[in-house]
Amino acid sequence: MSEHNHEHHISTAKQLWLVGGALIFLTILTVVVSNLGLPSPLDIIAALTIAFVKAYLVASFFMGLYWDSKFNAMLLVGALVFFFLMVSVTLLDTLYRVDAVPSF
Amino acid sequence: MANHSATHPAHVQHHFVDSDQQFESAKLGMWVFLVNEILFFGGLFCAYIVFRAWYPELFTQAALELNKLWGGVNTIVLIGSSLTVAMAIRSAQKNQTKGLRINLLITIALACVFMVIKYFEYEHKLHLGIAPGSFWNPTPEILHELSDPRANIFFGIYYMMTGVHGLHVLVGIGLMIWLYIRAGKGHFNSEYYTPVEITGLYWHLVDLIWIFLFPLLYLIE
Amino acid sequence: MAVAETKNLTTLQVKRFKPSDNPTNTYLTDEKGLWAWMTTVDHKKIGLMYLGAVAFFFALAGFLALALRTELWTPAKTFIEADTYNQLFTLHGAMMVFFVLVPSIPAALGNFVLPMQLGAKDVAFPRLNLASFYIYVFGAIFTFISLANNGFDTGWTFYTPYSSDANSAGVIWVTLGVFILGFSSILTGTNFITTIHKLRAPGITWGRLPLNIWALYATSIIQVLATPVLAITILLLSMENIMDIGIFDPALGGDPVLYQHFFWFYSHPAVYIMIVPGFGIISEVITTFSKKHIFGYWAIALSSLAIAFIGFLVWGHHMFTSGQSSVATTVFSFLTFLVGIPTGIKILNWVATLYKGSIDMKTPMLYVFVFLFLFTIGGFTGITLGALSVDIHLHDTYYVVAHFHYVMMGGTLMALLAGLHYWWPKMTGKMYNETLGRISAVLIFIGFNTTFLPQFVMGAQGMPRRYYNYIDQFTIFHQTSTIGSYILGVAFLIILYNLMKSLINGEKAPANPWNSRGLEWQATSPPDFHNFDHTPVIIHGPYDYHQPMEEFQLGLAVSHNGHGDHHEVTTDETEKA
Ligand code: HEM
Ligand SMILES: [Cu+2]
Repeated sequence: MSEHNHEHHISTAKQLWLVGGALIFLTILTVVVSNLGLPSPLDIIAALTIAFVKAYLVASFFMGLYWDSKFNAMLLVGALVFFFLMVSVTLLDTLYRVDAVPSF
Repeated sequence: MANHSATHPAHVQHHFVDSDQQFESAKLGMWVFLVNEILFFGGLFCAYIVFRAWYPELFTQAALELNKLWGGVNTIVLIGSSLTVAMAIRSAQKNQTKGLRINLLITIALACVFMVIKYFEYEHKLHLGIAPGSFWNPTPEILHELSDPRANIFFGIYYMMTGVHGLHVLVGIGLMIWLYIRAGKGHFNSEYYTPVEITGLYWHLVDLIWIFLFPLLYLIE
Repeated sequence: MAVAETKNLTTLQVKRFKPSDNPTNTYLTDEKGLWAWMTTVDHKKIGLMYLGAVAFFFALAGFLALALRTELWTPAKTFIEADTYNQLFTLHGAMMVFFVLVPSIPAALGNFVLPMQLGAKDVAFPRLNLASFYIYVFGAIFTFISLANNGFDTGWTFYTPYSSDANSAGVIWVTLGVFILGFSSILTGTNFITTIHKLRAPGITWGRLPLNIWALYATSIIQVLATPVLAITILLLSMENIMDIGIFDPALGGDPVLYQHFFWFYSHPAVYIMIVPGFGIISEVITTFSKKHIFGYWAIALSSLAIAFIGFLVWGHHMFTSGQSSVATTVFSFLTFLVGIPTGIKILNWVATLYKGSIDMKTPMLYVFVFLFLFTIGGFTGITLGALSVDIHLHDTYYVVAHFHYVMMGGTLMALLAGLHYWWPKMTGKMYNETLGRISAVLIFIGFNTTFLPQFVMGAQGMPRRYYNYIDQFTIFHQTSTIGSYILGVAFLIILYNLMKSLINGEKAPANPWNSRGLEWQATSPPDFHNFDHTPVIIHGPYDYHQPMEEFQLGLAVSHNGHGDHHEVTTDETEKA
């Protein structure tokens, strides 16, 4: 049961500001990268990579998963896994139809 | 924390053994709820991916109608509000009620800024007739730029995604106001700040969703 | 005083708490009156209120089923119009699925026994639990009115483009209602997961969780992962209906089959939301009435999780004829076969549990046998339907109707009845009439097969589902089926009579009438307001029938306001007894 009886983690203000700063930097970076006009799959890969890094920062440090019970992190990862399963299995249909949407 | 006294602290509900168990339960419960939220938005992301794979030209063409600058500003606003929520939790943990209230107030303000910017973005689009579904009635210039007959599918998805996200922001504002009032009554301290913590988790998730919406909707071209 | 070693090697001072057979103070005598019930946060009362609501909707939907079957007595019109017929089967299906089967076992029986099996005083979030009940009631009434009021006739699956068409008025109301119901389901799931993780009494390790808890755990996971997708799907559907956003509309470049993907992404897992809690009940009842350790504890526990997982990847078997790509069809067909494996594992383990047990054919056990028989047929016919070429022939025929009635009614509902009869003495403190209970079980078995076995035959011969008229050659099957449904109706009335009568002048139930080793039976019947007035300590698994009963009745010797103090490790102060 509640094995961890230790004090809750308290981040320092400096840590939080650093993470916030990094997030803002990455936001600007992703806009800049999108303006470079990279060729097709690369631009999406770049945008999503940056988005995932940002998501990692928010989840780990703002949401405290870095210090928290591993089970909570597992819930987040699990949700993403199921989301990817949903998308990829749906794509098995939509990408392989002979005629995607007949009238178009 | 060894040897609890024989009485519960006032904030611990009768069916919990102690404060810690109550806190951990609330947090776990919130995380499970966030799993719900992720799959709820997941349906929309799935629709987005399916149609993007089918009609890539449509998406790049339609995304031009979205304003990168304002989208980017809104992203930074939301990130700022996530930061202040994290600071609010820190204040609560350190028994600084004043800091807690100030941080909540800034968060509420930033959330409102987000909604105002969103409002002007919607307003601008509706003005040009870029409205969802049967209200689709673009002006001739727009029609010229957006020649694809399926353009309103993109905007159907756009309005659903940002609309549902916006509703979450509104709910978040409501929760923050509630926290602000309770903080004013001195309900929170380093021993008990569970509502601040779990509302914070919710708010960060709203931010997380936007972190993905922004590049997917605004930055693809 | 004695000393109990719990798994993680803290030593606790324990003593024996034998439950009294004549409790003076119970949750039913505490907090009396209508208002106290309506505002209660006690999981037991909330469970009972759910039970009442579910029973009410079941009666209503069952009544509609009898009307439908009566209409099918003759090939042409018997007594209602074709449009009415379409509306009635929509109402029947939607109510049975969303109002009855989804909440029935977890929210009614689960709410009652889950905290007790964990040795907890309540679920983790009692107020949320009450809220979820009211959301359910509100959502159900709302959906019912919208369905009935608008003459909704899409069937319970709400397929586009028919449902998004402007002609199907009221989609927005119906979907809103289902949306609200989904919320209730999500809250229950969230609550259960948290409770199972955080509120277990000392000594209840994962390996000592009752299988009912494992099943509810798997169910809650499915609820949490699948229900939100239903929510967003019907939100999109109603937007489509109100303002043609185009996502599901082929005329605008959208895709109606995508709706089916979304819908079944929820609704196939939803059939496991309905059946997996039933699996939990079967494991509890079968061990109690065989007085034997369950065969393959981990196989049964983990197969629930396996079903939950694979169940998410088979939804396309409902869409073999929808025009989805043949790649997808093949993968879905393969995965559908896979899901039969964990299901089969369970059946085999239950049957193996019976082997050399001292089997006591009490009413709950009879229902378990009915379950085993019917659910196995239902499962096997599911595999048949999962075979691609066969399904092209059988899709949308009565064969499918028979299949899902064998699993949903023959499976879930039989498990529910088993659980209801099993826990009835605990819930009410009264014993029902055993003879009448057995008669009703046998009658249900006969009625059920009379109703649904002919449907396999006529389905295989080509009788389509959801049809108002049929050709003469099917008359005999339809009439047999109708007669069977009346037998079922009578059987349910007998159950109702038997249970209600027990409330009025039933014998008083002892604390543990079945001599079960389950923790919930170590409370009084009916239980105390706080379930136990001590903190239970568990040193054996819930099916260790080879261990003496006393060792299942331990509780913390020293208790701080009814709770054990978890931080006090008493190793050095223990007096060895
Ligand atoms: C071994 C496990 C199972 C397999 C392989 C299986 C397979 C199938 C297949 C292939 C279909 C589609 C038939 C068609 O429409 O052509 C189907 C329909 C259905 N199944 Fe199952 N099934 C299984 C268990 C269950 C369970 C446990 C339930 C519910 C408790 C269930 C409820 C349903 C329902 C409601 C439908 C019809 C949905 C509709 O179109 O209205 N199935 N099943
Ligand atoms: Cu299915």
